[in-house]
Amino acid sequence: MIREVQGIILMLVGIVILRISWGTAYLDYVKESMRPWLLASGAILVILGVLALVDALRRGGVSEAEAQRSDEEIVFDGVEGDHDHAHGGPRAAWLLVLPILVVFVVAPPALGAWAAARDTTNSVAAQQALPPLPPGDPVPVFLSDYVTRAVWEQGVSLEGRTVELTGFAVSTDDGGWQLARMQIQCCAADAFASKVQPVGLPPDFADVPENTWLTVTGQWVPGDAAADGSPGATPSSSAIPLVQVGSIAVVPEPVNPYD
Amino acid sequence: MLFFLAQRWLMSRVESPALETAATVFVAIFVQALPFLVLGVLLSAAIAAFVPQSFWARALPSNRALAVPVAGAAGAVLPGCECASVPVAGALMTRGVTPAAALAFLLSAPAINPIVLISTFVAFPGEPEMVLARLVASFATAVIVGWLWLRFGRPEWLRIPRRTHLEGATPWHTFRLTATHDFLHAGGFLVVGALAAAAMNVLIPPSWLDALADNPLLAILGMALLAVVLSICSEADAFVAASFTSFSLTARLTFLVVGPMVDLKLMSMQSGFFGRAFAARFAPTTFVVAVGMSILVGWWLLT
Repeated sequence: MIREVQGIILMLVGIVILRISWGTAYLDYVKESMRPWLLASGAILVILGVLALVDALRRGGVSEAEAQRSDEEIVFDGVEGDHDHAHGGPRAAWLLVLPILVVFVVAPPALGAWAAARDTTNSVAAQQALPPLPPGDPVPVFLSDYVTRAVWEQGVSLEGRTVELTGFAVSTDDGGWQLARMQIQCCAADAFASKVQPVGLPPDFADVPENTWLTVTGQWVPGDAAADGSPGATPSSSAIPLVQVGSIAVVPEPVNPYD
Repeated sequence: MLFFLAQRWLMSRVESPALETAATVFVAIFVQALPFLVLGVLLSAAIAAFVPQSFWARALPSNRALAVPVAGAAGAVLPGCECASVPVAGALMTRGVTPAAALAFLLSAPAINPIVLISTFVAFPGEPEMVLARLVASFATAVIVGWLWLRFGRPEWLRIPRRTHLEGATPWHTFRLTATHDFLHAGGFLVVGALAAAAMNVLIPPSWLDALADNPLLAILGMALLAVVLSICSEADAFVAASFTSFSLTARLTFLVVGPMVDLKLMSMQSGFFGRAFAARFAPTTFVVAVGMSILVGWWLLT
């Protein structure tokens, strides 16, 4: 790989990272807390890339003999065939073009209905008693929080409260849909889905296209959509709790699509 | 204009939700690992450029069998994940650290550093013994693999990154050359690993896991293989492990011990840095030792 290209690839990777973390696109892939690290590493890569490019252009003026000598120095590095350092750069670097292209051209969206539908675990047992919901009527609650409270505390802390849940629609086998939202710990590779079953939907919302973002305002009612709605079922990680819909509206995708 | 047309055209191609999910996971792994990789190459460049070779001779015991656990314990101070430790271990070898010790460091650094242990503590609130079990099993694995390398490893299997061509006119210049080279090299192999992990993430149906959880031994093996396939950053894997509630604590410990030491992106990066002959022997050995240690420590501390 020629040195000019090395510098350009470094710069482009840096620019890609800066571009997604400058705005809010990075939130489709990683947590908000990664932002300063992304900005810093993007900047470092751009600087390294520019310096490598300047080096390469300057080196363009060196004598033939000197270039020859530096190539000889490099050859022994290739003990194995897969480690090609001819012209002073690792061949593997070409692979970095792939993420650059994928981010700039495809810009894959946040995980949606397909990923949510295949996740069969809906919640993890609450490790300790959850604090009461904050004041507010309605009170906005994360879907994952709602599911944990509904399944593992039998809805004790939800009773009598009007909650506001935001998520996207996932179609179910029976032709209906559930409200889902993904939760990430670190990046989208470790995402989990939380799902609730809205009941008492107005007729215009009986059928909603997948991945439509909605805000549902309503109240907790006992029951489990995964176990034929039998109320009082034993808490399980696959239980899908219900929400009695008071009002419902289509909303734009939140800036941070994950819980 | 042309760019937007190309984007439109490609978007219509990528309509398959499975492919789209894989693309998201691929970018996510790459973006998540990148800052750690940059940190790692800056550290390895600093080692190459500013730390005199004689320092390592003084810092590590001259007895090589003793240097292995010392280097393994030193892994506790590098607050990064596995992507950072590959270039650092490479730089250590180049600077004359005995390979077995550098390998013990490579294995222990992403597994037992404070950030990882704290996140394990937070992820398993009712089970503080999980933190101890992870520390003990990971450290033991790192040291044992280091010793195995010392006893059975052959120099020709390992390609120690030599880099006279990266020596610049000034230490600062060497620093830049090394950082640039290491990033391009490790980054390329990170791409391969992230691609493989994204494909696996989409291809393996989650229902397979539920079937494994009931058999104690299969549960442990299943968690170990899942750790290899998912290639999650070691600073986040505790939260993922905690969520597999249907699996035994020992199975989840195995996930935590194997993940930072053997996974698809690491294997790809290791074969890039140290050669295929190395990775083909090192990764399976580490896998076996890590699973064995997890079962042993799990039986001792978690039952």
